Amino acid sequence: MLKLILAVFAFQDHATGGVGETAEHGAAAHGTHAQVLDTANWLPGVTALIVFAIAFAVLGIFVWPKIAKALDERENKIRREIEAAELAQEQAKAALADYQRSLANARDEANKMIAQAKSDAKAVAEELRSRNQAELIEMKQRATREIESAKRAAISEIHQEATGLAVSIAGKILEREITPKDQKRLIDDSLHEMAEAGKE
Amino acid sequence: MFSLASSSPTDHVVDLLNPGGIPLLTTHTITLIVVTAVFLAAMIYAARRIATGPESEGNERYITRGRFPQMVEAISIYLRDEMLTPVLGEKATRQYLPYLLTLFFFILFINVFGLVPLADIQHLLGLPTYFGGTPTASITVTGALAIISFFVIQIHGFRELGWKGFLQHLTGGLMPGPIALLPIVVIVFVVEVAGLFIKPAALAIRLFANMVAGHTLMAVLIGFGAMVAKQGGGTGSIVGISLLSGVAAIAITFLELFVAFLQAFIFMFLTAVFISLMSHHDEHEHEAEGHEHESHSAKGAAQHAH
Repeated sequence: MLKLILAVFAFQDHATGGVGETAEHGAAAHGTHAQVLDTANWLPGVTALIVFAIAFAVLGIFVWPKIAKALDERENKIRREIEAAELAQEQAKAALADYQRSLANARDEANKMIAQAKSDAKAVAEELRSRNQAELIEMKQRATREIESAKRAAISEIHQEATGLAVSIAGKILEREITPKDQKRLIDDSLHEMAEAGKE
Repeated sequence: MFSLASSSPTDHVVDLLNPGGIPLLTTHTITLIVVTAVFLAAMIYAARRIATGPESEGNERYITRGRFPQMVEAISIYLRDEMLTPVLGEKATRQYLPYLLTLFFFILFINVFGLVPLADIQHLLGLPTYFGGTPTASITVTGALAIISFFVIQIHGFRELGWKGFLQHLTGGLMPGPIALLPIVVIVFVVEVAGLFIKPAALAIRLFANMVAGHTLMAVLIGFGAMVAKQGGGTGSIVGISLLSGVAAIAITFLELFVAFLQAFIFMFLTAVFISLMSHHDEHEHEAEGHEHESHSAKGAAQHAH
């Protein structure tokens, strides 16, 4: 390794010396005093140490903190936004699930209500129908009764009229006086016969 | 003589003392100062554009505007999250990130500026060559950066392991142990101590050698036309050779641009790997299997680098 280092230095000295003459010629042509580097090789090294130290200090104060802060802030922002987006997505999923659950509940409720309404309507209709039927039956029975009663009254009246007329006619035919007592007996008999005839 | 503009094609890789008659300065020192000034201005500008704006801007405040700041940000995030955190862990990455990123961008700027033919431009303008070339093609510059890395690595080792742990590390974990292992411990100790210096030396030589080699190759390619002319070649051969070597030089320039990034990355990354190697090993054992794998990768990378 030492040999290699020495060889490198030797190469540089050689390279410097080799072209130095040319450089000197060039510099001389321009009237300047550029010289070949022989032992002054430490100058660039020392300069490098100084300028690097200055660069490191300046960058350490004015550059790297700013860049590091910006990168951290950006990373944090991206992380925060990803977390917020994930949270929003979770919330959206939960909201969607809630909505779907509510929708299903509402649909069930509506179905139940419709079924209940149908059932109620059916029951009401049934009740109305049965009530109407009862009323009709009652009306029919009442009408029948009234008709029967009227019929009886009419028949009775007709019987009375007919009996009276018959008695009157019979009296005229027999030309004899029928006493009220006879008349009553005749009427009763006739009515009885008519009633018997009606039963048959 | 060799190139059309510069006095020498190797002006990119050699350093000249007292450029323009300025005492105690060299072209590389002036280049270093100029590049550092540009580097600081560019990075401060980038930091301002990357920094989060006022709240009144809303979400826009988090957006980085400008291609260069975006590039700095993308590189910083990539190096931090994909390269350094797996090797160093969260805590050490935060601790050493300013140094490592400064190292990376500093070397990168110098390497990339080295590709700009500043010396040739000055030559074309009839000016003395005040600055130009690639300072990282100087072993003392890369050596200086390696010395800084050496101190960072060793200080981290002492802080992390303590004196006792540091010495134990140098014995490869064989001490305290059987007395019979003492000869081996001595050998391991010598190797480990040498390794402390060899590692940063390898960093310095790798960067220096890559920069010198790339720029020398480019200079040689560019100089082919002039060489043919010097040898008394005809116009056709001069144009033909110049075209061929020009195309090759352009291709090598792209390769050098890649090398500029690669070497900056390697210098920085290996420094991080050496820091991680001086970390407490128990922590690694207690951490997840994945991290253990990464630690092995880091060691592998270090061995590969050697």
